[in-house]
Order: sequence, then C-alpha cells, then structure tokens
Amino acid sequence: MDKEKRKPTKPTEKMNLSSDSPGISFHLLANEKWQPITIPAFSILLSLIAAAIVILLIGKNPLNAFLNLLQGSGILPKPSYAGYKGILTDFLSLLNAMTPLLFASLAVAVAFKAGLFNIGVSGMMLTAGFTATVAVGYSDLNSFLAKPVVLIIGIGAGAVMGAFVGWLKYRFNINEVVSTIMLNNIAQYVFGFFINAYIVDPVSRQSRYILDSSRLTLVNVEYGGLKMDIPLGFILAIAAAVFLKFFMDKTILGYEIKTVGANRNAAKYAGINVKKNIILAMVISGALAGLAGVTYYLGYFSSIQPKVLSSVGYDAIAVSLLGNSNPVGIVFSSLLISIISKGSTYMSSIAGIDQDIASVITGLILLFSACGEYIKFKIRRLNDRQLERKESEA
Amino acid sequence: MPEYIVEMKLITKKFPGIVANDDITVQIKKGEIFALLGENGAGKSTLMSMLFGMYEPDEGEIWVRGSKVKIDSPNFATKLNIGMVHQHFKLVQNYTIAENIILGVEPMKKLAGIFPYVDIRDAGRRIEKLSKKFGLEVDPDNKIEDVNVSIQQRVEILKMLYREAEILIFDEPTAVLTPQEIEFLLDIIKGLREGGKTIILITHKLEEIKKVADRCAVLCRGKLIDILDVKETSTRRMANLMVGREVNFETVKKPAHRKDVVLKVSHLTVKNQEHFEIVKEVSFSIRGGEIFAIAGVSGNGQVEIADAIAGLTKVSGGTIELNDTDITNYNIRRRTLCGISYIPEDRQNFGLVLDFTLSDNLALKSYFKKNFSPKGILNRGEIDRYGNKLIEKYDIRSGQGVRTLVRSMSGGNQQKVIIAREIELASPFMIFVQPTRGLDIGAIENIHNMILQERDKGKAILLISLELDEIMSISDTIGVIYNGQLQKTAETKSLTPKEVGEFMMGVRHG
Repeated sequence: MDKEKRKPTKPTEKMNLSSDSPGISFHLLANEKWQPITIPAFSILLSLIAAAIVILLIGKNPLNAFLNLLQGSGILPKPSYAGYKGILTDFLSLLNAMTPLLFASLAVAVAFKAGLFNIGVSGMMLTAGFTATVAVGYSDLNSFLAKPVVLIIGIGAGAVMGAFVGWLKYRFNINEVVSTIMLNNIAQYVFGFFINAYIVDPVSRQSRYILDSSRLTLVNVEYGGLKMDIPLGFILAIAAAVFLKFFMDKTILGYEIKTVGANRNAAKYAGINVKKNIILAMVISGALAGLAGVTYYLGYFSSIQPKVLSSVGYDAIAVSLLGNSNPVGIVFSSLLISIISKGSTYMSSIAGIDQDIASVITGLILLFSACGEYIKFKIRRLNDRQLERKESEA
Repeated sequence: MPEYIVEMKLITKKFPGIVANDDITVQIKKGEIFALLGENGAGKSTLMSMLFGMYEPDEGEIWVRGSKVKIDSPNFATKLNIGMVHQHFKLVQNYTIAENIILGVEPMKKLAGIFPYVDIRDAGRRIEKLSKKFGLEVDPDNKIEDVNVSIQQRVEILKMLYREAEILIFDEPTAVLTPQEIEFLLDIIKGLREGGKTIILITHKLEEIKKVADRCAVLCRGKLIDILDVKETSTRRMANLMVGREVNFETVKKPAHRKDVVLKVSHLTVKNQEHFEIVKEVSFSIRGGEIFAIAGVSGNGQVEIADAIAGLTKVSGGTIELNDTDITNYNIRRRTLCGISYIPEDRQNFGLVLDFTLSDNLALKSYFKKNFSPKGILNRGEIDRYGNKLIEKYDIRSGQGVRTLVRSMSGGNQQKVIIAREIELASPFMIFVQPTRGLDIGAIENIHNMILQERDKGKAILLISLELDEIMSISDTIGVIYNGQLQKTAETKSLTPKEVGEFMMGVRHG
C-alpha cells in the first residue's frame, strides 16, 4: 500500500473540497458522526425560515405565530384557559394525536431499513382499524379484555397485510411501492363499502361510534379540576420505539434486516436468507402500521369515515425521513409534526393566521426533510468523488 | 515547428492529504510513443487527466504546440486534438459502434433544407475509412453490448481518431486484454505512430514499454524519478526505479505438497438468465495444499463456476463435493459452515456492505455464532474486539478503527478486509476471484503471499484471474476455460504463457 493512503483523514478534513473555504456550517454538516442530528436540525431550521417568510408575506409576526403553536399544543402555557381546560389537557391531547403518527413512522422506518418503501401504511391502518371496530368495537366485552384484544387484532391485521406485500415482493418480484399503493386503494373502497352497508351512522355519515370500553384513549377523565383525554397507546408507542432501537442495533435479526437493506447482494453472499428478512421486515412494519390504525380509529377517533384514507400513513414517510429512520429520532420528529398540527387551531384563532398556514409549515418541514436526504447525498457524493480521485492517482 | 508537441512544466497537483504530482516536468516529441511508468498511486493518471482537462494543475504550465494553454475541460482538450482512452471505457452499451463514435459530434444534415437529422451513413463511411487506415476493423452496426472488450477498446480509439486527435493518451490499455490481444493492440499503437500520431501510454507493465515505447518517464509517489531512453535501459532498472527499491520478479514459492482431494466438481453445468449454458460439463478437483487456477478471457464462465460452488448461482447439472460431502443442494450459509471461503470478484457490491462499519463487515459471516451473539443478542464489545484483532493481524488501515465506514477506505484496504474475514473462517477450501484487481504492486505482492501461506497451511485454493502473469506465478495447476468448457488442465510448470493464451482464445485444443 502506498504511503499517501495510510494517513487517516479526520472526518472534518474530508470536506476540504477546494481552496475556497466552504465555511463552518458546512464542516459541521459534513461530519458524518453528527450528521444524524445536524442534517435534520438544518432541515428544520431551513423550513422554519421559509415558514417565517410565508407568515411575513401575509403580514403577520412569525415569532408570535411560532409561540402560539407551542401554546396551542400544550408545550407552553396559554395566557388563559376555558373551564376544565389547562396546559395538561392540551399536552395530553397532543400525545393523543402523536401516538398513531409515531407508530406509523416506525412502520415506515422498519421497512426502510430493509430497503423497502412501505407506502401502504394508511391502507394497513384502515384494515386494522376496521377489523378491530367490527370485531370488538360494538361488543360487550369489558374494558380490561376489550382493549388488549383491540391491540392484538390491530397487530395481527397489519402483520398479515405486511406479510402479503413481502410475499408478493419475493415470490413474484412485485415492487412493494406498487403493491402497497394498490392495497391502499383496495382497502379504502372495500372497507368503505362495508361501512356504508352495515355500520354507518345515518347522521354523521361515518361508522357508528365504538363503545368506550374498547377505545384506547380514555376520554374526559376528571382530575384536579381538569377534563383530560388519556392516550393509553402512547406508552406502548414509546415502548415500541425503544424496543425497535434495541432490535435493530443489538439483535441478529436486526443486523440481518439492515444488511439486506444496505446491500442485498452482500447479504446473499454472506448466507443471509434475503426472502425471510424481507417478509420479516414487512410483518413488523405491518404490525406497527396496525397499531397506528387502532390507536387512530379506536383511540384518537372512535369511528371511521368511509372511503377516506388517513393522511397519517403518508406523513409518516416524511416523519421517518426527518428522524433518519432512527426510532429515537422518530419520537422527536413525530412530536414536532404533531405540535404544529395540534397548535394550529390556537394559532389561527389568536394570531388570525389561517389554519392552512400550519399545513404549509408542516408541508415545508416535510419537504425540507426530504431535502435533508438530498443534502446528505450531496455531501456523500462529494466525499466519494474525492476518494475516487485519490484512488485514481495511478 | 517547435521540437516538443506537449510540454508540462513544473506541474504540482495536490489533493487533501496527498501531493499527487510534485513539480513534474515532461516534454513529449511529436510522433513518439512516450510511456508513463509507475505504480498505482504514483500520479500517472492525475498528470494525464490534467492534460486532458479533467483537473487543472495547482502550479505549473502546460504548453501545446509551442503555445501556453489553459485546458479547463475535456472539450477544450479535444479542440487541441488531444484524445484519451480511459481505463474504464465510456461507451453506451445499447448503442451501435457508429452511434458511440459520433456521440457529441454528430454529422448533421437537413432534410429538404429544414428538418435536421443525423447523417449516420456518412459517419459509417468515415469510420470505415479510418478503421481501414489504422487496422482497427469493426462493424459499425454492431451494438457495444454484443462485442468483446478488445473491440470496445478499438471503438474508443476510433472515437479519438474520428475527432481528429493527434495526441492520443492510453490509460492502462492492456489491463483487460489477453496476451494475443495485447500484441495486437501494441501493433495498432505502433501503426498510429507511423500515421504521425503522438502517443502517451500510461502503464505499469514493463514488457509493453520495452516493446513499443521510445522514451519513458518513471513516476514514484508523485515525483518524477527519471526520463529514460527505453532502448538503452534494462527492464530490471526500470522496475527498481518505479518501485523505489529492489523488486523480486519471482514470487518466492515453495513446491506444492498436495494432499487429499478437498473439492471435487463433476460435470458442472450452469445456465444464465437467458437459459444459455454459460458453464458446460466442467469437471476438476482440487487437493489440499494446491492452488488451482482457472485462466480465461473475461466472460467465459469462470465467475459462474465460483458462484456455483459458493451457492450464489443455481446449478443446472452436475455435482459439487467438499471433503466427500455432496453440497450441491446446500444453501449458502450451510456451505460457508461446511468450509468455503469466498473472495468475490465484485468486492463493493458483494464482498462488503459499504455503509457498515469495519467491525460489522469483518463479522459479516460470523455474527450469528455463539461468541458474537449469545441468545440472538449481538455482543458489540466482542465484535469490536475481534475487529481490532484482525485490523492488527492483517494490517488493515482505516481512519477511525473499527468504527470506520468501509465506504471511506481505499480499495486495497477494502480487499484486505474481505481477505482477513475469509481467512479467519479457517475453511479448508478458499475461492479467490480477481483478488488483486486494481491494486498496486505492493498490495499485490502482499496478497499473493497470503494466498501462498494459506496453501502451505494445506488449504485447497481455487484462483480465478484475468491476469495471466498472476496465474503463472502463483498457481500449481491451471485449467484453461473457453466458452464455458475447460480446454486444458495441466501442471502450471508444463505450460508456457503463450500456450495458455492460445487455449484461452480457443485456437488450440488439448
């Protein structure tokens, strides 16, 4: 080996691309060790700046708007509260909305680790939600039995659908993007038909409300003069994130799934059963999507709107990207997105900024989070090119 | 007319951490064959990339035909009539030869004076004229994907000539060719000189320089060592200058002590995706303590043999026995555990997971074993300790130890990672496919020694290589493959490189 190549390059030095210095921020971003944190942070910063410009353009104060978002979602106290309401009420309501999003994002992340794009989280959510609603939602099971059964049915329904996608992938080499989109449509209309035909509420035009015994959110719990909604699924979602982190980093199965995702050829060469791992990853992804479904339709809501797919499954793709497909990162990114969507009602009523602006901000964050991948890609390309140059000095 | 057609004066080019070219001055005469000799990483390609406009020098001047120029792009180099054949061909696989040649300089005509179109027929005529003139026969209507490497190279040369290049740069042109094809190419290069072209030949093969070059610049670690008159310099002296020390031309090799048969392949047949029999009825056996090499031109089925034995490709006929066990229907993991180590041809797409750390890659075939993952939970500490042990033992160089992403390591060190991992499996049978491709002389020597050491430990080794020199110098037995069939199996000592070359081309039959 020749002498030049022996020198270990410090990660910060790697990006000394040319004589014109690229600046400190660039060095920070280029440091691979910190990239999982710096790049999402950079993306969020960019999106907040862009959002601030949008708010300025409609003639409002962006700082106030951001403050209102935090107040509305129960992170900061509001100046005044209505009866039975308090910061705790708002905060629990935030967690209630965040629970399905967190499950759904974890579902996307697991598939992503195996190199699969699960677009079908929404369809899986609906399948799980519908199955659980029909099976348990109107039954007279007592609360202690009904809730676990709802969870199990959710996991089962999602996992079966995930396994089906994985099976299609390895047996017939059907791209999972195509099959999941198709399954989304099938779920949307098939279950829409059944809801309209059998369990529709003629007034609300939705499925009849489920009984509280099977609902995963305890509603209107009175404590200390406040009326709160307590999302039981939230604890499970956090536990799922922690477990997933452990599973991916520390177990043989996680290592194999990651290897299949990072380089399918090398996985095969190393003797890893690629088919088994593709299905396994999709089963786990489906199970998590199922949990997202039951915490959404039988927790956050208590009925299903027919022929409508929830946007949670799509938002989850971006939330997962923003969190770098890392379960811990996803806890934070789903919190952030939930804060914005939850706080928007308050922001619009106080600051007079249309609620749609909150959607714009969410959209911007998600857009920039996709750019985060792009930034990483760009930086890696530059790194690679430099390596290539060094190699080609023959 | 100035004496020199190209002058590169006091050229310095730095990359982060490396001075690729340090104060190099070369002057090239019109109509000569000028060779650039040096190991990988000596700075030959960098120097020529600057002449071809791919990089700009940090310091120094380039003069072409007596006037100072600033070559900032390959397009400008083309305008100066400079052309380059890259080591990796830059051709569009599903275009015809003619389409590839005219790409970017398409002759345009106007139909009815209005609608522009590409006059491919006129281009075809010009290409035919050029190929006749320089002995570069091609069929302009063939697609690139249907012709072999040597024809592809001719297309690259024709591409330069079509653009009226006067100064032709060849970057390691013989690396992909068989001995016979090399002879042919060297004749073509001589013919180009006769036709008044100036040729710059980048190579690390001394015989080629000796055969065709007029003068030769020796580069070592970015510095110009000397410019030699080829006729008056011995090959040995050039080699010593190139490496900067005395070189052993012969790999020191003890005689083989053949033991029992370890691997026995009988009537192996493999079909590719188009159901074409790419390996036909191949039979051979390898004993412990023996290096069995399969020589052949790329694409004659040798890689498929390796994949079939390792289990990556399905076998459609025949059997594979390892230590008297029929493993033909075993899966990959089971074969590995039975005792097969495999150093694959494509190290980045098969041998490594580039986005994993060094320690994860070293454990790629053993992570599931009891000591690394008791009860299905990975013991990271143990995996890292193992990684550190191998880094030390095999002298693997990396930026951040076991935490280094393999993507960021050099090619030679990436190969060391694979070899270290596979040797540590302690398999009785090892497959090496192109183990030294793209590596420099020092690394090659090192890897050859490792292979020989494994042989002397009594392992059976299957070596598949496109480098005939490598096969001749380290193997004990050679099987020559052509069109998926073994043409000849014999003791290495009983064959000359010329004979092997003839078997490889299918012009001679055992």
